[in-house]
Amino acid sequence: MKPVRKIGLLLLLMTFILAACGDSGSDSQTADQSGGKSSGEKVKLSIWHNFAGDDLRAKTVRGIIEQFAKDNPDIELDAQAIPPDGYRQRLSTVAAGNELPNIFFVYAGSHSAEMYKAGLLQPVTEIAEQHKDWKEKFLPGAFDPYEFEDNQIYTAPIGMSATSILYYNTALFQKYNVKVPETWDELMTAVKVFNENKLTPIALGNKAPWVAQSTILGTLADHVTGTEWFRNAAAQKDAKFTDPQFVEALGYFKQLVDNKAFQDGANSIDNTQAEQYFIQGNAAMMISGAWTLTNLAASASEEQLKDIDVTVMPSIPGGKGEAKTISGGAGGGMALSKRTEGATKEAALKLIYAISGPEAQKAIAESNSMVMYDTDIDQSKVSSLYYKAFNLVKKTAITPVYDAYLTADAAEVINNGLQEIMTGASPESIAKKLQDAQARSITP
Amino acid sequence: MSTALKSKGFIALALLPALILFLVFVIIPIFWSAYYGFFEWKGLGTAKFIGFGNYNEIIHDRIFWNALLNNLLLVASAIVGQIPVALLLALVLLRNSLFSKFIRSAVFMPMVLSTVVVGLIWGYIYHPQFGLANFILKEIGLGSWTRAWLSEPHINMLAITIPINWSNIGPYMVIYIAALQNIPSEIGDAAEVDGARGWRKLIYVTLPIIWSTVIVTLVLCISGSLKAFDHVIVMTNGGPAHTTELLATYMYNNTFHVYRYGYGSAVSTVIMLVSALLIAVNYAVTKRRSA
Amino acid sequence: MELTTAASRKKEGRGWAWKGLSGFGKLLLTAYAVLTLYPLYWLFISAFKTNEDFFRHPYALPHVWMKENISRAWELGKMGRAMMNSTLVTVAAVILTLLLGILAGYVLSRFEFKLKKLVMGLFLVGLLIPIHSTLVPLFLMMKKIGLLDTYGALILPYTAFELPITIFLAIGFMASIPREIEEAAMIDGSGWWRIFGRIIFPLCTPIVATISILAFLRFWNDFSFALVFINSQSLKTLPLSLSLFSDGFGTDYSLTMGAMAIAVIPTIIIYLILQDQIMKGMVAGSIKG
Repeated sequence: MKPVRKIGLLLLLMTFILAACGDSGSDSQTADQSGGKSSGEKVKLSIWHNFAGDDLRAKTVRGIIEQFAKDNPDIELDAQAIPPDGYRQRLSTVAAGNELPNIFFVYAGSHSAEMYKAGLLQPVTEIAEQHKDWKEKFLPGAFDPYEFEDNQIYTAPIGMSATSILYYNTALFQKYNVKVPETWDELMTAVKVFNENKLTPIALGNKAPWVAQSTILGTLADHVTGTEWFRNAAAQKDAKFTDPQFVEALGYFKQLVDNKAFQDGANSIDNTQAEQYFIQGNAAMMISGAWTLTNLAASASEEQLKDIDVTVMPSIPGGKGEAKTISGGAGGGMALSKRTEGATKEAALKLIYAISGPEAQKAIAESNSMVMYDTDIDQSKVSSLYYKAFNLVKKTAITPVYDAYLTADAAEVINNGLQEIMTGASPESIAKKLQDAQARSITP
Repeated sequence: MSTALKSKGFIALALLPALILFLVFVIIPIFWSAYYGFFEWKGLGTAKFIGFGNYNEIIHDRIFWNALLNNLLLVASAIVGQIPVALLLALVLLRNSLFSKFIRSAVFMPMVLSTVVVGLIWGYIYHPQFGLANFILKEIGLGSWTRAWLSEPHINMLAITIPINWSNIGPYMVIYIAALQNIPSEIGDAAEVDGARGWRKLIYVTLPIIWSTVIVTLVLCISGSLKAFDHVIVMTNGGPAHTTELLATYMYNNTFHVYRYGYGSAVSTVIMLVSALLIAVNYAVTKRRSA
Repeated sequence: MELTTAASRKKEGRGWAWKGLSGFGKLLLTAYAVLTLYPLYWLFISAFKTNEDFFRHPYALPHVWMKENISRAWELGKMGRAMMNSTLVTVAAVILTLLLGILAGYVLSRFEFKLKKLVMGLFLVGLLIPIHSTLVPLFLMMKKIGLLDTYGALILPYTAFELPITIFLAIGFMASIPREIEEAAMIDGSGWWRIFGRIIFPLCTPIVATISILAFLRFWNDFSFALVFINSQSLKTLPLSLSLFSDGFGTDYSLTMGAMAIAVIPTIIIYLILQDQIMKGMVAGSIKG
């Protein structure tokens, strides 16, 4: 009877597995759809974010959420910190299955725009009605990426991406007697001098290809074309990316490449590696975003940091844009899923306010991470470099980041286009590719 | 009960559990995904049926063709770089001495490591400034040969094939060892009496016996190279400017980053068709060889 | 006939090894081994470095041995629970894969039946699909049958996706097992189940061990399925813990390496155990029937 026993065993195993799969069911999966206020029952609320790591900001945000859970025992909070590497993939997949949590973190730009277009979001404007001063304290333009409809706010931003701060090593500038560049010519002189002394002028880690676009092109192009032109070109109204001013802007980027401003192989090095290359004194400058402050605070010594200072990118001769600006804007924020209703929605709005309100914004700002919110920070709580940068950004005008206004498709094209320019492509050809992509993907 | 009937029952009962599980969790999703390939869909919101629109676009998509070429390069390098080396190592390391045990474990170790570690360490070897490869070239007086290995077009794809081959040799070696273990040793002894030694023995005696395993490894090699993903994502992310893009990374990028789910699904269907074609060619070639 | 085969098999086919490695050959192999072992060594030394040390001296020994990396990664990544989940899911899926796959492989290698070509073709198709394209359909389907967020949401797809490789390896291996063995057993009056369980499966030890290693590695390291099909913190598996320390703008390498060093140890142990099984070849008593 042995064969029978074998089959039996096999079937038993299979039923066991299938049963194990069945019973725990998917009840814990994401949102509670009913949302109604069944008496005495706890309100179920789910939130997904990607503040999963060990850095100060992630810990701060997690702390705020935990505190909220403690303060609201009547809410059953399911908070998920998802590894950032897989965050988009996870969110896209569950969105396809209409299984989004009540609250989730979205990125500014095409990520949130596509979510909105697919009808997955609902406005959080009510928070502004409940807390009058909440909205006013946001810096100008904070809601720009999230104002999909007039007078409606679709996301509460909890970060600011200042993407093009010029970091420089004061020791190296002194040693080689170079002036910190304020104009394009001075920058090119600096590039020449550092190259002659076998130092990399500007460290760049462009393996993830958005880096050069976000940190360099945005501000460079804005200086040449002016903000107005870019907004028009992004909307494909009265301006095109093939216009001569944009080709000229790409030309400036090509000048940097041709004059060997970046180290060899910049396209195969990631941002963290480039930061380390810079902080170790191998490069005199680095053009990077506010995230570099967070990264350096975690991985560089005080001794290394004391030589580093920050400023804005140099002006362009005859440029139509304002000089001395930094590209940036609202970073990601907390969005509310369309399906959230009733008591769950009330609780959700409360949590969003807790994460994006004045106290939370201050706490986030004091975790070496910039916010789009009018708040004062305690100097003793942050790194000295961050404090310098915080004040620099506070007094500087902000211009748009390219990928926050381009479609996902077009952003992909210009990101790769800059890499192509770094390997020899002409500005004209890249301008044309970008124009084609934006024109193609903006029409519904 | 007749034997025929008995074996029919056995076939059904032995095959069905595997087949059902496989149909439900693999085949249905594959067709489901292929179905999305006929839609313009962002993965969010509503989908629009566009017939063969995505496929038509694929034909005219230069990035796609470049990715396909890269994949074919991977297939070629894998067949040349993994299979023979693995077989050779298996033959050499078949003894159970401490030495071969040690080497066998060593050869397999890259496979044990997560791809992230493999990608990181090779990223360091290829690092344009501090890299081991450039350092060695300079030391032996070939300073002019130094390169930014992972970012220079034309070179970077070749540079990537090395770590991929290097980390995949282990499993094939293990598979060959398992196959060689199974051959009765008197066949080998008899062959030697007949004067077949060394290469002759390998080609005329050993290979024909484990031929079915060789075919299986070739199939695994081809399909594995065509859906290769991890190493490239870690080392170059398909860049710069799509020069190291593979079909799978291109599909992934379209699906989850550029919100072109339909197009990504169409690409993955094409990956399947190309693999099927290559494997059919492989069977045709190897069949003639074994006949 | 079967007796001589069995006896000679006991010698583990070592006659196939190329005898007498020259000193030069040994040297070459040792060099190659160093090349393949170096990343492992590098992982372990990097796991004990500070971030600054990691970048400043990527190849040197740690300046200060940071044991905290390991304990912090363990704690932050909730790796204790994750390790348990990974073990449970991986072991269950490996066992299921072996049972279903070897049995199916046996049928496909030994029997002729009407739909055989179709079945083989289907399994071949399974080899060709990049898993990322099945994520959304699988998610939707498992949502429908209520499988999401359970161990089964990983065990069943893992097994299903590993079946083709398992089956083809089994077929390839069984092709070299002489049919005379079964014919003899047939005459003894053994049924197919008995022949499979008593004779064929034991003969397959080398390939069973091989398949186990490959399957184990794939399940243990899978990121995509674990990311998408599991929601509860209490069910999360190890690969999710490994990617916590990188946020797209920067990576905390000391913690990442610490977590990876923890995760790699079980795989090394499993490999070393199974490697011996591969080399054991046929179990001596298997032919008794």
